[in-house]
Amino acid sequence: MRWSTARKRLGLALTYVVWIALTLATLFPIYWMFLVSTRSRVELFGNFQLYPSGFFVENFIRPLFRDVYGRYLLNSLIISTGNTLLVAILAILATYALSRYRIPGDQNIFFWTITNRMAPPAAFMLPMFLLYSRILRLGNWQLFDTHIGLILAYCVFNLPFAIWLLKGIVDGIPVDLDEAAMVDGASVIQVIWQVIVPLAAPGIAITALLSWIFAWNEYLFAATLTSVNARTITTGLAEFVTVVGTNWGEMAAMATVCLAPALLFLSLVQRYIVVGLTFGAVRE
Amino acid sequence: MSLRHIHWLLSALVVASMVLISCAPPAAPAAPAAPAAPAAGEEAAPAKEVSWWTKAAEPYKGVTIRGISESTPPSKYMQQVLAPAFEKETGIKVEFEVTSWDQMYDKEIKDMEAGTGIYDFVYVEQDIIYAYLQRKFLTDLTTFMEQNPQLVYADLDMNDFTSFIDYFKDDQGHAYGIPFEAFLKVYLYRKDLFNDPEVQAAFKEKYGWDLRPATTWEEYGQIAEFFTEWGKDKELYGTTVTAGTHPAATYEMIESVFPAWGIYRWGINMENWKATSANGGSLDSEQAKKALRFWDVDMLKFAPPEATSSTWDEVAASFAAGRAAQGLIYGENAAWIATDSTRSKVVGNVGVALPPTAPGVMDEAKAAKGYIGYYDGGALGIPVSSKNKEAAFLWLQWMARKDFQGDFAAAASRIVRKSTFEDPKVLELDPKVDGYFSLMKEQGPLFAGAPPFPFHNTIRPVLDPFIWKTISGEVTPEDALDQAAQAIDAELAKLGYGQ
Amino acid sequence: MKSNRIAWGLLAPTLLVLGFAGLLPFFYVVYVGFFNWNVFSRVAGLVYTGADNYRRLVFDADFLASIGRSVRFTFWAVSIEMILGMGLAQSLMRDFKGKGFFRAVYALPLTVAPIAVGATWRLLTMPGMGPLPYYLKQIGFDYNLGRYPAHAFATTVLMDVWHWTPFVTLTFLAGLTALPKEPFEQAMVDGANRWQILRHLTLPMLRPVILTALFLRIMDALRIVDEVFMLTGGGPGMHTHYVGIFVWRVVFPKTDYGYGSAMSVLLLYFTIVLCWLLLTSITQARREAGT
Repeated sequence: MRWSTARKRLGLALTYVVWIALTLATLFPIYWMFLVSTRSRVELFGNFQLYPSGFFVENFIRPLFRDVYGRYLLNSLIISTGNTLLVAILAILATYALSRYRIPGDQNIFFWTITNRMAPPAAFMLPMFLLYSRILRLGNWQLFDTHIGLILAYCVFNLPFAIWLLKGIVDGIPVDLDEAAMVDGASVIQVIWQVIVPLAAPGIAITALLSWIFAWNEYLFAATLTSVNARTITTGLAEFVTVVGTNWGEMAAMATVCLAPALLFLSLVQRYIVVGLTFGAVRE
Repeated sequence: MSLRHIHWLLSALVVASMVLISCAPPAAPAAPAAPAAPAAGEEAAPAKEVSWWTKAAEPYKGVTIRGISESTPPSKYMQQVLAPAFEKETGIKVEFEVTSWDQMYDKEIKDMEAGTGIYDFVYVEQDIIYAYLQRKFLTDLTTFMEQNPQLVYADLDMNDFTSFIDYFKDDQGHAYGIPFEAFLKVYLYRKDLFNDPEVQAAFKEKYGWDLRPATTWEEYGQIAEFFTEWGKDKELYGTTVTAGTHPAATYEMIESVFPAWGIYRWGINMENWKATSANGGSLDSEQAKKALRFWDVDMLKFAPPEATSSTWDEVAASFAAGRAAQGLIYGENAAWIATDSTRSKVVGNVGVALPPTAPGVMDEAKAAKGYIGYYDGGALGIPVSSKNKEAAFLWLQWMARKDFQGDFAAAASRIVRKSTFEDPKVLELDPKVDGYFSLMKEQGPLFAGAPPFPFHNTIRPVLDPFIWKTISGEVTPEDALDQAAQAIDAELAKLGYGQ
Repeated sequence: MKSNRIAWGLLAPTLLVLGFAGLLPFFYVVYVGFFNWNVFSRVAGLVYTGADNYRRLVFDADFLASIGRSVRFTFWAVSIEMILGMGLAQSLMRDFKGKGFFRAVYALPLTVAPIAVGATWRLLTMPGMGPLPYYLKQIGFDYNLGRYPAHAFATTVLMDVWHWTPFVTLTFLAGLTALPKEPFEQAMVDGANRWQILRHLTLPMLRPVILTALFLRIMDALRIVDEVFMLTGGGPGMHTHYVGIFVWRVVFPKTDYGYGSAMSVLLLYFTIVLCWLLLTSITQARREAGT
């Protein structure tokens, strides 16, 4: 008896040791980034203190208020949220279709969607650029440098990802529930809205979270397809790397700011992460 | 209030603050005051005197022009100070995109190649101009001015530009860009260390000559060796070397080191377009190999440990942090290293000098047959695909205004007009940067811009891996240059040169 | 049974968006892959060269080397992430105080932009500026990722592990919580020890989840660019020039669009083949586990 409780205690202690160490290892790089954001440029080299020795607020104030990074933040917010909404809606419809109907080639369609995410993006920037600036234009208006343009572009990797995640979840919702609702006279859309969505809510939440984070953090598409109006905060981060010196302090400050909304969103939804990521592995 | 409520409140707060922040109008930075009085036609002098600018821009009022440039101080100055003033005066809106160096090139090239007309003015560096000329991407400004005399500002004075503008002219002397920044890559050294009697004594004892900035590469090497030894426990090293896995490392070789050793134009023979010495080039010559070994093998030993992760940024930062006794640094960095105490620990201790040269090189440079270093900089050009050339041209002239140059130079330490050298602000700043501006004025002609080939962006990446491998020790400098020269010959042939 | 029209109607928007933003560019890239197109060559525009680009690719030693490096990187990074992920997920299945907090903090790296991840790790590891080399030097270890290829490689792996293990852990955790309790209780009654339960019960039942996580991670690790680019630039020399960076360097500064396009198509093909194999294993496993 005593021996097994001792082992349990040891196990618990070990668990704590592991998790505390892990927390430190996880937080340290982020903490360091924050530290750098509190230092002025001249202090950066050779300063290895592990605690802040002052707060150089200028690193935050200049880009946010005297430069355009505040606007970039807003753009990022609009684009990420817009894309997440679009992706969520489209993905729910698509996964319902793939799950409930036997369409010829549905396996292939399913696989094809995810192949959009597989290629190294560099070479695809050229056709995207051409598409947005030359092919899709009405008079003087073009898809280049617009919010909607980027929202659509992000669907390329977020939509397959969402469909991929949601399919297993929707598969796990028994078809009888659909049929029961239909017997009561519900249309397909009503079935989706009233039956599927509530049951799949945790899964939808986690999918939305991850899609939002991917869109928020994306760099290459944003850099290529925007100019001044729809520029996002991640592209803004790259601007700090210049010929006359990388302003690490300001870059770290903006990276910290960039982190905040994603962090918040994560903490809101993280309770659902575990519950929502079931893959229908074992179902009664 | 449950945790969930707190969460929602917090997120609402974050969103609200972001919206508020983004609505804050970007105020002008703490740079020198916006262009002074010459911008006539303000409230002070009512309707009576309408400035030339307002009149000339009449037909284009309300037009928006868009341009792209690198996010450097001169560009930011234009974006944040000059552009709003221009808009106020003419009613033409300027959307100025500043971005990173690679992204800028990528986007402007894509735009001009596809003829999409997104940008009305683009940054043209003095190496890419040749490529753009060959592809006829840019508007011939000389001809444009002849065809549109009503758009030419009386005081534009094309002759007042320094010889730097010649890099943006074709063989008929037609200009394709108006310069807005120009710098020399110079030899910086620590005056305080060089003037320290203890240091001088120790140096003389070891090497037998009085310590002063090097004029030959052998001297440079000895100084580097000395200071690395001297600075062993002081975090001080003998020289900076740009040795990161980045084009910057290659640029340091081809822009500064090779020319000062007598290898010009990347060692490529411009008659038959070959780099191998068997075919008339000089990239794999004995001299080139010596230069590469000296810099990226020998000098690397005396450089700070971060050298192998450094691009031009970190090299400047290293020097500014007091970690090196000498180095080859881009002019735009020299200024802030010497004067800005919020970024540099060596303010007041920076010396500027001509780079050391191999025997015979200085004479060749003076005879205009060679050059000793790099004249860097850029201009703004108007793509042929632009739909608002007239408005863009007015903007180009605006940023090149003589009366703005003084403040512009003080803000961003660049000079493109001869008259600016006499500007009181520049004269005042000159001694603080140890005569960098005087050096530029007097010795500028010894430096040259990039060689006039149209294929920089395609051939430099061919050379990159060989430089990087030399730095990491994977290949010897001799083998690296042999292989590089052959690879370049092959690539040039593929591009259609030297057939 | 049910009207297929409805199905197609539901799928239509998705197919439209993906077709326009995914398929169209893809066709264009395939098309360009058959040409020699460099913005700065003497002959402007596209020059038809047939399959020449692909032929060159097969013999391009640098390209093949970069594929090798990517595979090595993926192998190490993903293996570590899977093992660590499983172990930590198991740990999170127990109940201990503060679990929620630890789990939340642990997921933080997922929210950092890749480009910021690379920048942060660069700040951490750059000699002269970063704490890692400094403190390691204090204990006598000369850490310099600009100079020693092994250090650079290890750091890229470490960075990826830091960034993505939370994703793997949470995925496994989700899988574990969905497992039924009875088999495990039964096994414990039968006297099986921890390892036996793991090997014979947990892992087989989790197979679909494991394969899914593997699938997603391999796909992304092979494509990695931003983080490594910011951290090492591909160096020292070419040692961390993974395939994503290699393609990037060909397309962007070199503007060798034809070659870059062919390269991308080839890489896409390899990745598809690899993933197809994994996918068929997953559906196989699902079918087995679901019955």
